[in-house]
Amino acid sequence: MEIIGDDKKLRALFSEAQTVDAAATPSFTSVWHRAQARSLKPGRAFNLSFALVTALLVLTLGSLALWSAYSHRGTVRNDAAGNHPQPASGVQPNQQTKEENTTAAVNTGNRPVFPVPGSIHRSVKPRVKRSSAAVEQQLVASTKTTARETTIETWQSPTSALLTSPTDGLFKSVPQLNENANEMKSFLPGRSNEKEK
Amino acid sequence: MKFDPMEIADLKAELERLHSASFGWALSCCRRDATEAEEVLQTVYLKILEGKARFRGESSLKTWLFAVIRKTAATEYRRRLLRSFRLTADPDEVDDRVSPFENQSETFERSEAQMHFQSALKELPRRQREALHLVFYEDLSLREAADVMGVSIGSARQHYERGKKKLRESLARLEMGYGNNWGRQETSRAV
Repeated sequence: MEIIGDDKKLRALFSEAQTVDAAATPSFTSVWHRAQARSLKPGRAFNLSFALVTALLVLTLGSLALWSAYSHRGTVRNDAAGNHPQPASGVQPNQQTKEENTTAAVNTGNRPVFPVPGSIHRSVKPRVKRSSAAVEQQLVASTKTTARETTIETWQSPTSALLTSPTDGLFKSVPQLNENANEMKSFLPGRSNEKEK
Repeated sequence: MKFDPMEIADLKAELERLHSASFGWALSCCRRDATEAEEVLQTVYLKILEGKARFRGESSLKTWLFAVIRKTAATEYRRRLLRSFRLTADPDEVDDRVSPFENQSETFERSEAQMHFQSALKELPRRQREALHLVFYEDLSLREAADVMGVSIGSARQHYERGKKKLRESLARLEMGYGNNWGRQETSRAV
């Protein structure tokens, strides 16, 4: 069979394929009706993957917002704790909060303010602990810095001992003019003999 | 946005007129898989019904429809590919799909030339195959083919020329190979 030739032969092959395809073509009405049926079907209310991604995004954003809010509150409390005198080290943070509650009750009158067993105290407890720990850390850091300063002041070079000698007194002191001249006269025998003569 | 009933009726008549050619083009876009081609065509009609694909009269209806079919086929192919990746644990489900067209074509006992032609066509790069199909099968001009393929006319011409050259070469090679093979069989039988 001679296939290599001009476009006519290629066209003939394509038209042959066309006739084979035409025999296998599904009817238009069936395809159209199926498409219509698909279009009438209510579409999926939501895409599962899209919903998952959205939920994940919302969760991430929410947790980020919560974290930022808590961290902001924590810094504010730390600042407040820095201004007020700290309680004694033996006093527990829980006790402190209780005392605060009782004093608040006294200040508001006879109506005692009971702690809500919900979120407030649960969220406050770790905050207080964290603030006391921060204060302790600050104290330790400050003591360390003062110790460093003192050691720097008293520091001596290890070779400074080598620079000292027993005649340092003679070399470093300035002689008094009059006293030394008189002292020297006593040492000079020639001059004293002349005077004696 | 949906079409008016009148508009849909007109469009339906036009689509019916072009249905056979559309199916042939869908077949070419779906690597001769009739089931896939039918699904693609159905999706295209659905897009038209829902107003997702809208003919604005910028080109001929045939060119526009073929461009929609091409795009839909590419999308469906990508989806199928993803699905097959997901179902790799169950390979039966992927490979069990038998194309009725393939069976049919086998039962039809295509001519040798047609078989060689189809296998040579499959060897061609997609763009070249598309250009040849649109020009020879669908009787489109090169400009129209370029519109359907979404490329410039120069590019379409290049694909067309290269495709033609490659197709001739591969057909000649297949013919020669078949001839040699056949000759060997003859000699072995003779011995």
